[in-house]
Amino acid sequence: MVLAFFKGSSSDGDFEHIVTRSISMLADARHSFDLATLVLLTEADPASVAEDIRDTDQRINEAEQDLRSELIVHVSVKGGADIGSVLGFTLLLKKIERIGDQAKNILELSEAGVQLSGTPEAEDLLAGRQVLSALFAEAGELLGDQDTSDEALADYGARVDALTTEHQAKIDGFMTSERPGKEVVPLAIYYRYLRRTAANLLGVVRTSAEPFPHADYLEDGAVDTDD
Amino acid sequence: MRGPVRSALVFALIYVFLVGVSSLEAGIKIMGQDTQESLFSAAGNPLAALCIGILGTVLVQSSSASTSVIVGLVATGALGVDDAVPMVMGANIGTTVTNTLVSLGHIRQSSEFRRAFAAATVHDFFNVLAVAILLPLELLTGAISSTAEWISEKLVGSAEIEWNSPIKKWVKEPVGWIKDFWDTVGTSGNVQGGLVVVSGLAIILIALAFITRNMRHLVADRVERSINAMLSRGGGTVALLLGLVITVAVQSSSITTSILIPLAGAGVIALKNAYPVTLGANVGTTITALLASLAASSPASLTVALAHTTFNVLGIFLLYVLPFARNVPIRGAERLADLAVERRSMAVAYVAVVFIVLPLIGVVALG
Repeated sequence: MVLAFFKGSSSDGDFEHIVTRSISMLADARHSFDLATLVLLTEADPASVAEDIRDTDQRINEAEQDLRSELIVHVSVKGGADIGSVLGFTLLLKKIERIGDQAKNILELSEAGVQLSGTPEAEDLLAGRQVLSALFAEAGELLGDQDTSDEALADYGARVDALTTEHQAKIDGFMTSERPGKEVVPLAIYYRYLRRTAANLLGVVRTSAEPFPHADYLEDGAVDTDD
Repeated sequence: MRGPVRSALVFALIYVFLVGVSSLEAGIKIMGQDTQESLFSAAGNPLAALCIGILGTVLVQSSSASTSVIVGLVATGALGVDDAVPMVMGANIGTTVTNTLVSLGHIRQSSEFRRAFAAATVHDFFNVLAVAILLPLELLTGAISSTAEWISEKLVGSAEIEWNSPIKKWVKEPVGWIKDFWDTVGTSGNVQGGLVVVSGLAIILIALAFITRNMRHLVADRVERSINAMLSRGGGTVALLLGLVITVAVQSSSITTSILIPLAGAGVIALKNAYPVTLGANVGTTITALLASLAASSPASLTVALAHTTFNVLGIFLLYVLPFARNVPIRGAERLADLAVERRSMAVAYVAVVFIVLPLIGVVALG
């Protein structure tokens, strides 16, 4: 550990390591999301994936704490010159950590006995799961690309915005549905988790490009969509 | 600035720093014997000398600078090793003012301030306790100065002889320029001596400030990486060695300990883990005085620099290696931090009293 002082060059990339580990956290979050949604949307046993999802969530939380500690060390050693990036990364890590939590929340739906494979929406839900899962991979690519174009960001943002709007419309529909509560309540909750997950993914991508995106401070008193 | 250029600049600054130390010695030697004696008469009382060490270090915010000045003064023969040892102990206490001041920046957030203030004052507690134990021991037995003298004799020979330091020869010419400059201005005797001393002091302070600033730039990535490594897998010995290495690299214990304060405040590093880093910094900071002694002509200056190192190493043995004593500074700092959180004005009063009022009273009353 003391030898760490003498190893390597004196000018290793400041945040490359943080970006690499953030991408890895995102991959972990996707893994949890895929497992949790698969169990909810098929007839798989939640117990078969619970340990994996909770271990993965724990790993994400630990990585978040480690990286936040590294960011504080960075500011303590080098002063406030990189404060914008440091705060941006802190926010980004928090968003990834929340995505991990949301996968765990989806698992908890299954553990509570919710099973969506027999609902009329099952096929749509499986297709939507694929779309959202692919957005994880895209977010990782955009996060790792230091020269992300504005067009790529805008395209990703537009697709996620459309998805979250669709999720919100579904939630609103279930809220006023004539169907029994035990059918629509789990669906509304599930869509709520999907919407939050999608919004957090967009938050990750936007934060990586611009630490303090305007999207976090919506006008007209609207709330942050990715909390 | 590119790395190699900055490295070359640091070497040049070290040379300038050594010129400063040698100028200090030269300036004092120009002064008459009576002036020399009256200048350092206050240091005859060990407690007054301790207070001078604290005040001088608080004034320049760097024990590296104050101990280098002490080393330069000892080289003239005007300040004895026995008088200088309490001074370097005082410098140890005085240098902790910087991180205590840094901790006051967290004063608005109670829990953060508690952690930051405790991390800062654990250094104070260690230094004050070390002085409380080792100063009487030194006065009674001369254990620290004898040990340092023994090492010094092994390295460069007896204190009675003039030491032909090669570095002294390298810096001789620029020191001559400084004397010549004040000659051409028309000064002589005590006035010229005083001006050469002031020039030396200014050179030491400026050179050290720039050395520290440039070294911080040069090693910042390494410091960051090694602190991260320590936080993930470190232990007490590792933390101590890391504090030492970082401080030797940046030539300032204040920088090392001040880096710890925001980390402690944020809860990234616990007090018990920050404590050994400050102890390593205490030892690491003695390297500057050792470096300064290379530019001095008397082995006594090396003895004082080594006494500073010996004092800190012995302090670590007594207050860190011995398990029953390890928690004493930690508990003291935690209790003081609790009091400071209860009454914030007490934290400010603590800094004023410990680092300014008490040392001033000591110098005036005992000097």
